[in-house]
Amino acid sequence: MKAINNKSAGRCTSNPAPVEPGRIPELLHKKINRQTACSLAACVHCGTCARSCHYVLARPNDPFMTPAYKADQIRRIFNRHIDWLGRIFPRWIRAGIPRDEQDIQRLKDIVFGTCSGCRRCTFNCPMGVDNAALIRLARGILTEMGIIPEGMANVCRNQWESGNQMSVTEEEFRDTLDWIRCEVQYELKVDDLEIAVEKEGCDFIYAVNPREIKYDPSSFMNAAKVFYLAGESWTLPRYGWDLTNFGLFSGDDRLGAFMAKNLYQAAARLRAKRIVVSECGHGYRSVRWEGYNWAKYRQAIPTESVVETIDRYLREGRLNVDLLKNGTSVTFHDSCNVARYSGLLDEPRRILKQVCSDFREMHPNRLQNYCCTGGSGLLTMPEYRPLRLETAKIKADQLKATGAGIVCTMCHNCREGLGDLISHYRLDMQVVQIMDLVAEALVLPDRNMVDNCRAEIKQV
Amino acid sequence: MSDLNGLMQHEVHLAALSFMGAAYILRIVWLLQFKKIEEMSLPAGTGNGAVLQSLLAVAKPWTMEGVRKNPAFYLQFIIFHLGAAAAIGLTFLIPYRPELLKETLFVESLQMVLGAAFIAGLFRLYRRIADRALRLISTPDDYFALITMTLFYALGIGAVSDNPAIVGEQSVLVFFLLAAFFHIYVPFSKIIHYLYYPFTRYYLGKMMEHRNIGREG
Repeated sequence: MKAINNKSAGRCTSNPAPVEPGRIPELLHKKINRQTACSLAACVHCGTCARSCHYVLARPNDPFMTPAYKADQIRRIFNRHIDWLGRIFPRWIRAGIPRDEQDIQRLKDIVFGTCSGCRRCTFNCPMGVDNAALIRLARGILTEMGIIPEGMANVCRNQWESGNQMSVTEEEFRDTLDWIRCEVQYELKVDDLEIAVEKEGCDFIYAVNPREIKYDPSSFMNAAKVFYLAGESWTLPRYGWDLTNFGLFSGDDRLGAFMAKNLYQAAARLRAKRIVVSECGHGYRSVRWEGYNWAKYRQAIPTESVVETIDRYLREGRLNVDLLKNGTSVTFHDSCNVARYSGLLDEPRRILKQVCSDFREMHPNRLQNYCCTGGSGLLTMPEYRPLRLETAKIKADQLKATGAGIVCTMCHNCREGLGDLISHYRLDMQVVQIMDLVAEALVLPDRNMVDNCRAEIKQV
Repeated sequence: MSDLNGLMQHEVHLAALSFMGAAYILRIVWLLQFKKIEEMSLPAGTGNGAVLQSLLAVAKPWTMEGVRKNPAFYLQFIIFHLGAAAAIGLTFLIPYRPELLKETLFVESLQMVLGAAFIAGLFRLYRRIADRALRLISTPDDYFALITMTLFYALGIGAVSDNPAIVGEQSVLVFFLLAAFFHIYVPFSKIIHYLYYPFTRYYLGKMMEHRNIGREG
């Protein structure tokens, strides 16, 4: 495993508990489900998965990058403790469990550092083996043992303690929203635009990535602008507004349930008619799909991405846009969590074709798109950055081939990941999100027209 | 036919088959004992046929990148598995419909399929040994299953041949010995993957259908 710098990829310093490999079988039994058991049992080691993995494509001579090899690390444990043959003749199917701290470190580096969980191999496996689910299963076991990269552990701790990954306090949250409201009011030259917090009975509650509050409020400002112009009634919850979920990355279903439930309960508390989440791939996947299962919370109201919301606004004629305002060529990057895990493929394209004058596909795209290489929390684990950027060559070549000046995505993580590789490979390209392009293309109506339209919408 | 050969073709074969059937049932029960993920989210759309598409994936090579890049691999896969079907078919034809094996054209066709499967098996073995990544992930069971299956095809060619130099009691006896061994070994080895295929594919397709993934078909 020459790729991994073992010195930097140490154990989570926030949890100095002794390593107990003996707990692994017990945790595996606890976490395994029928879907993962099928994937564990069904692999025939045909190697087809290798041809679809960006780690392998970037490192064709490194057999350790093969997805089946990575998944085998957890399969070995399954075979040793659960499979019939492996329990009696473990060597025959190379069954076994990590014996000591070194084995555990190796397992940690493989499952956290050499797979972005993009699921490309799953979609290209003849047997339908979900390697990404197996990697997440292994991460979950290690996380429960306190073996987790420090960067990820810190974010998980923030979510447990404050309910959001950047530990934004309520005061800070409200202050930022106030400031954003003033900015947007000034920009639109209106005074009735509000950003409500904890308002009951709105059409939807809006959940955001804390990054939008803490570091880069532009997408939130654009969202506020769009919602205002569409005459939307919306609110943010006081607590439970963070759509991100590091339970997904760490494999910790309890954290996943906790974060998702915060949002579901906020929606119920505020009697919102739907939940809308901002552009975030893993956040959308967690809130829309996995969160309900983790939290064992039966979905009662629609849950959608803000991209679906904008798509609806455009179809209903609630937004006026001019595609000539975005003249630079734009290509679209399908986020793994949005495409391969959630099936949102057409909505972003419908929007982009209405707000950009030169939209071009990258190839491969949609369900076959390559990962931005920053998925599965890899951006929070700097120890794996060299390998991540090395494998990003596949994505860089793909972006370069489009000749586009802008790559658009609907995921904060992808935005960061793509930005990182664009600067590393010195591509002449800018990364934006759909909301940015929509905001740029907006045609602002004159003040009287806005008032009339809003009055009309209110009546309807 | 000697008594021993008759015993192998009938009693032993059926006993081994019964064992395999029972082991398969136990395997399915074992698999179903793992708790299923209960979907708590509302489905997107009203079903897109993804379960069926997923189950048919093996018949849609163009959907797999590995195959798109290397179509010969798919051809090998088809030939190898046709050989498996032919060899399994032979274990029933020889004892129960021997008259069919008097048809030269039929026998030659079977031999061609088995011969091609034998060559495909050798290619697969070479690939498994020569490819570093495959070598890394291969277990003794992977090699053993591939070697014995390839041998099974070769024995199948001999078992239906009318050439006295290669056919005869011995060849049929060894063929049925190996068949009986397979029936006992398969439930524990990777060869059982065909039993898992519908389950793995069904659950992947079910998830895709629930989330309306793959609307593009």
